[in-house]
Amino acid sequence: MKHMGKKKKWFKGQVLTVLPLYLFTLLFVLGPMIYMVVLSFLTRAETWGILPELTLKNYQDIGEPIYLKTFWESIKLAVVSTLLIVAIGYPFGYFMAKLTGKWKKRVTMLLMIPFWTSSLIRLYGWIIIFRAGGVLDKLLNALHVTEEPLKLLYTYPAVVVGMVYALLPFMIFAVYSSAEKLDFSLVEAARDLGASPWKAFLTVTLKLTLPGLLSGVVLTFVPSMGLFFIADILGGNKVILVGNLIQDQLMKAHNWPFAASLSVILLALTSVMIYLYRKISGVKELEGLV
Amino acid sequence: MKKFFACALALLLAVPFFAGCQSKTGESAVGNGQLNLYTWEGMFPQEVLDGFTEETGIKLNYVNFDTDETMLSKLEAAEGGDYDVIIADDYIIETAISEGLVQKLEKEKIPNFKNINPVYQGQFYDPQDEYTVPYGAGVQTIVYDPARVDLTITGYEDLWDQGLKGEVGIIGSTRVIDGMALKVLGESYNTEDPEKIKAAGEKLLELAPNIRLIKDDNLQDDLISGEVSAAVMYTSQVTTAKLTNPELQVVYPKEGIGFGVMAQFIPAKAPNAEAAYRFIDYILRPEISVQCFEYMGYYCTNKEADSLISEEYREFLTLPEDFQAEDMEMIGNISAEAWDEHMKVWNEFKAACG
Repeated sequence: MKHMGKKKKWFKGQVLTVLPLYLFTLLFVLGPMIYMVVLSFLTRAETWGILPELTLKNYQDIGEPIYLKTFWESIKLAVVSTLLIVAIGYPFGYFMAKLTGKWKKRVTMLLMIPFWTSSLIRLYGWIIIFRAGGVLDKLLNALHVTEEPLKLLYTYPAVVVGMVYALLPFMIFAVYSSAEKLDFSLVEAARDLGASPWKAFLTVTLKLTLPGLLSGVVLTFVPSMGLFFIADILGGNKVILVGNLIQDQLMKAHNWPFAASLSVILLALTSVMIYLYRKISGVKELEGLV
Repeated sequence: MKKFFACALALLLAVPFFAGCQSKTGESAVGNGQLNLYTWEGMFPQEVLDGFTEETGIKLNYVNFDTDETMLSKLEAAEGGDYDVIIADDYIIETAISEGLVQKLEKEKIPNFKNINPVYQGQFYDPQDEYTVPYGAGVQTIVYDPARVDLTITGYEDLWDQGLKGEVGIIGSTRVIDGMALKVLGESYNTEDPEKIKAAGEKLLELAPNIRLIKDDNLQDDLISGEVSAAVMYTSQVTTAKLTNPELQVVYPKEGIGFGVMAQFIPAKAPNAEAAYRFIDYILRPEISVQCFEYMGYYCTNKEADSLISEEYREFLTLPEDFQAEDMEMIGNISAEAWDEHMKVWNEFKAACG
């Protein structure tokens, strides 16, 4: 009996400790989410605010060709960026895991340092590189590759570069944490048993680092659908993402219910991504985050 | 002991909540002789603010917002209290007035009310001038670099010229840009006819190849650095651009001018309305006004201050001599359906630019 009481007491203490965290999550994560979902079914008022009338109009509006196109463009940009990030980030993370301890730390440091600066300021750095008469323009001119001033800024490639630059570290760290756990003797065993280097990579290395790779894909694909400020700053606002659309509906048209319904769809797309990740990799947590 | 720690930790984690509450009440608590001024950042030169405190002994509490929408949300939450003077854009003031969040001005407390330029009075957001005092106006004008543009631009229509392919920068204001096409088609900025807005959208698609970039902040930098050779921009940007490169040409579009007014108002339950009146009257003094407008780079809405504006600024802070009041139109609030149409047009236009 006495023992039970102690256990109960301990349990109470545990609850008390985590209670604020749960409250915080309920209040500031679940609360706004419910609010958003409810809002997405309401009617907008004429100039400002909302009317408490249920409607499906906001979801029907997403079916307008121009808004579907925005989703499609967002996904396209996310796919292009993610593919490039995989192409650069996977080998980077893989070979980083093979470095000696000292160098691992140094490379990690080098990857981390830029994070201490605001991402906005780092993006402005790209403007200096890309703009007419900027660093890249002058360099290419001096090397006689180009004669005329280039128009690199405010183009689609500039946006892709910005996306890749901003999200690459997430892929590198995800792959790295997976590759570090990889037992290289397994690769050696495969080679001993007659597998070609390519086959050994595909059947052993890739398979074992897949959770890292996929988690990297989720961590880069999902944000790249919403990082509208990159499209704004480097794309001159001409590449519209779902993020821009939501912002415009909120701040310009004051159509909060429509913005909410767009957000709900974006949230659903994101959830599908994470569901697929768990299904394919069989891992519950995103690699590289914990 | 464990329990104690648990409780202590729980309390510690809860502290930010209460801290949040406290600072909130702290912000709204007004002592005697304090004026809560709520507007964008950088609306007044520091000397003007200091001068007011020195003269009246009223302490200024300058609180900032980023967007009109934030302001209205906060004012709604405060039920028209908390702030004494708010300066915001015309269209949002119309909404605030309709919600009963603004108090009628007692004009005998503002002797300098007579200094206001009548051109900016009696507009849609306050047709009887009962609630507001204008504080600066913005006109969307075309600015171009004659050294890099072959044609002489006289109106919006010229921006459609094929010679400007990939050379035009515009601000990201949906109504202003869609309105440009409406104006070229001879329509009003405020038309609520979906067909007319659609037609403007078609017209805009033809402009798309000429658009190099769309942005609201510091568009003048791109004109100065040569990224674009012509741009449609806000008055404050025109001011900066002209001060940096006097060779730039400023065009008042022949199709007519769209303009916006920023105005001061006193919220319905302002804690210190007396201080608010003193502040508004102080700002309306010509010699104070002139400092404000030269600092902000917006059109002078104080008639008596016009003549005090220095030569350097006069060209772009006061209306041109041949200015006709009927040439200009304010961009007002429109119906929800009209807005839906504008957003579609706007998104299609942006997508076509990319």
